[in-house]
Amino acid sequence: MDQREEDKIIEGITSQEYKEGFVTDIRQDFIPKGLNEDIIRTISSLKQEPEWLLEFRLDAFRKWQKMKMPTWGHLDLPTIDFQDIIYYAAPKKDSDRPKDIDPKLEETFEKLGIPVREREALAGVVAVDAVFDSVSVATTFRTSLAEKGIIFCSFSEAVKDHPDLVRKYLASVVPTGDNFYAALNSAVFSDGSFCYIPKGVKCPMDLSSYFRINAAGTGQFERTLIVADEGSSLSYMEGCTAPMRDENQLHAAVVEIVVEKDADVRYSTVQNWYPGDAQGRGGILNLVTKRGICKGSGAHLSWTQVETGSAITWKYPSTILKGDYSTSEFYSVAVTNNYQQADTGTKMIHIGRGTKSRIVSKGISAGHSQNSYRGLVRMNPGAVGARNYSQCDSLLIGSKCGAHTFPDIQSHNPTAIVEHEATTSKISEEQLFYCNQRGLDAEDAVGLIVNGYAHEVLSRLPMEFAVEATKLLQVSLEGSVG
Amino acid sequence: MDSSSSRKPADRPVVIFVDSSRQRDFVVGAGERLDVTFVVLPGTSAEIPVNVEIVGPGANVNLKGLYLSSGKDQVSFNINMRHHAGGSVSRQLFNGLASGEAKCSFFGKIIVATDAQKTEAYQENHNIVLSDEALVNTKPQLEIYADDVKCSHGATVGKLNEEEQFYMRSRGIPEDEAKVLQMISFLAPVLSGIEDEILASRIENAIRSIAI
Repeated sequence: MDQREEDKIIEGITSQEYKEGFVTDIRQDFIPKGLNEDIIRTISSLKQEPEWLLEFRLDAFRKWQKMKMPTWGHLDLPTIDFQDIIYYAAPKKDSDRPKDIDPKLEETFEKLGIPVREREALAGVVAVDAVFDSVSVATTFRTSLAEKGIIFCSFSEAVKDHPDLVRKYLASVVPTGDNFYAALNSAVFSDGSFCYIPKGVKCPMDLSSYFRINAAGTGQFERTLIVADEGSSLSYMEGCTAPMRDENQLHAAVVEIVVEKDADVRYSTVQNWYPGDAQGRGGILNLVTKRGICKGSGAHLSWTQVETGSAITWKYPSTILKGDYSTSEFYSVAVTNNYQQADTGTKMIHIGRGTKSRIVSKGISAGHSQNSYRGLVRMNPGAVGARNYSQCDSLLIGSKCGAHTFPDIQSHNPTAIVEHEATTSKISEEQLFYCNQRGLDAEDAVGLIVNGYAHEVLSRLPMEFAVEATKLLQVSLEGSVG
Repeated sequence: MDSSSSRKPADRPVVIFVDSSRQRDFVVGAGERLDVTFVVLPGTSAEIPVNVEIVGPGANVNLKGLYLSSGKDQVSFNINMRHHAGGSVSRQLFNGLASGEAKCSFFGKIIVATDAQKTEAYQENHNIVLSDEALVNTKPQLEIYADDVKCSHGATVGKLNEEEQFYMRSRGIPEDEAKVLQMISFLAPVLSGIEDEILASRIENAIRSIAI
């Protein structure tokens, strides 16, 4: 492949368009811009929250005020004016028909391929909680799940209907003062999903949350809390999109997962927030804290993420392996293009005996993007016989991008074994030649090779997501040859 | 902290016995070779910053190190391998044993600058923790800004293999001797670069001293 052709193809990637970039024109309720205690009180009262939750928010806000934005990421983060953000935007409810979904809104979710009405969802058998800007607009399959004792609803409803559960588990994994963005989220979080699987129940269908930022000048601060009681099992999926805008929009979410004894939780994310245009204007700043705890023995938590969107991603889904013989996995594919930046990875904190974790991270960078893996594996003194294996691969497409690996391994136990491997490479001429020879053009060949490269992770995704993720990879990298 | 810098690397392999904290800088030009092995023996606490700047093509850099830490030793390596020019090869291999209440940390970064194409850079760090109180922290890092490169790093932290010990003991080798043999074989890839027999036997004695 000569240089000119290569340049042309690389230029080809930068002209890829974001397909979910439409804006839905619906009437929305806003509160004024800015952040102070009054705003927090307003959010809390709009949501008719109990006193303890308001106190929780204010406590977090006071902690946040004393904190500084973290700068350790390998990221060129724009200055965020936290007073220039609208912290709450909700689709206006028609007071006459409060149970109905706004048709425009439904259309939006339809465009995204998310059925919010049960009869349409029957084919897919996935229960969906859809969050539009700051509120959850619809949760499907509530009744059939309730028969098994499963609670799956928006966070606000959970606060009203199951205050004891929420109070017991909220901030038990990610404390309010955990980090800058988690504190901000704890202060202003709007909505999100709540899920509780009772003892011994296997959730009969995949549960799914869809998040969409629609309104301009807003941020999204959702909060997800998942509790899997003893011996239960759950597969949970999360997807995200946003319209195209010239400004940066902030997304600071917190996800907490509690996995009790012998429970099994699989958490999958396909993150496709608006990544900004080819010149790096706009895009979502995706600064999220996700953490789970394997509380009891034999608990299992698996994270699978496909990250293709966002101007900046700062995300480290982590597991605290507290229960003896608990296990956790982290599978990740992160694709960056144009001027996107991603600093993502995981933390595995081994506390219990015989705990095991496995990390597989695949980074793909193209254009002018920077893609970093950052991970921590810690073996505490009590982690007798614990084991970790990490594999981090980077694929570079084009000569202007960067791929970085920053692992941190800390072992306090002589019986623990930790292994880490990382490689960086580009798609080899031989591989391309092999495909070309068999009649595949350069574009298809790259798609094939990238999919093969990411296969180990993609194969962990639930069916519905695997199809979407494979397509997303193809769109993001169509025709890119390095 | 002293600082030493050699503009022209030695043609022959160099073994450096580390006895104190000292920064070492190397600049490697086109076609030049650098072959350095660091040895840290028990009873040494030191910070060892090493900066290697590769400024020309065709350079060949081989950095090796072994550290045997016991008691309250604190050893920390801080390696920066900067590939400013393409077409060069660097290899790093650091193996260490931590016993007693020793704290060993390895921080190693490979940086491949934009346009330093056809770079090959490899880094390995292996550790064995011998006691409950010893602590190992390893941070191998890659920062790559060019696409046509081959880079990898690997790090492990583990213990002496019990099956190997059983194999040797069942053939009449005492437990302590079996451990010494395991440690020697673990360090062998680094030791092989040390030709001087007197130095090699000093290291072997040191291995015996921390095995017991």
